[in-house]
Amino acid sequence: MTWLDVAAIVGGLFAGVLSGLVGIGGGQVFVPLLTLGFGTSQVVAQGTSLAAIVPTAIVGGYTHLRQRSVDRTAAVWCGGAGVVGAVTGALVAVHVAGPVLARIFGALLILSAVLMWRRARAASTPKPVTD
Amino acid sequence: MIPLLVLWAHVDQRKANATSLVAIIPIAIAAFPIYYFTKGTPQVDLRLALFLVIGSVFGAYVGARALKFVPDRPLRYGVAGLMLLVGLKQLLFP
Repeated sequence: MTWLDVAAIVGGLFAGVLSGLVGIGGGQVFVPLLTLGFGTSQVVAQGTSLAAIVPTAIVGGYTHLRQRSVDRTAAVWCGGAGVVGAVTGALVAVHVAGPVLARIFGALLILSAVLMWRRARAASTPKPVTD
Repeated sequence: MIPLLVLWAHVDQRKANATSLVAIIPIAIAAFPIYYFTKGTPQVDLRLALFLVIGSVFGAYVGARALKFVPDRPLRYGVAGLMLLVGLKQLLFP
């Protein structure tokens, strides 16, 4: 085991804690962690992130299924439609130049940040008293 | 996927988080072989993925358990700010 492996475990721990705490997908944390922290190319970061997400999501998803906190119909629809979209996206991504892919990912990250900011604001806004 | 579930399908927030985690399993399984097999050399670092998983599986458990002890709002603002900075870096200096 090298220091890089130890750093990967610590990075994975950080990404996992964030995933468990705020419910953001592993890819939003894994991909920048791999490109900025480990110097991998954008496409390898995305491929490696997918490999790491599968077991993490199986463990988390199984726990949620047992707790009956999953909308199964929505999961089937999202998973099915997502597979078609993801296969198309991946077929394109492996042939796109690294900097272009990084820019697209950056734009999606900014969009996610804005949505998360809005959700935090919505959660903090007191509901009007009706009576 | 979570905003889609909450805003369009009217699934509540907690359920949307759990549902998206289940839905991502087939998506990641379907996309992974394309990164691995489409080009001559695999576009996946399996060793790095293995060590990330060792940390992330444990981290996800710790994060989910710590949820009730950590204030949600400042955490979300912090993570959103961090994502914004990284996103701007990726967008402007790829």
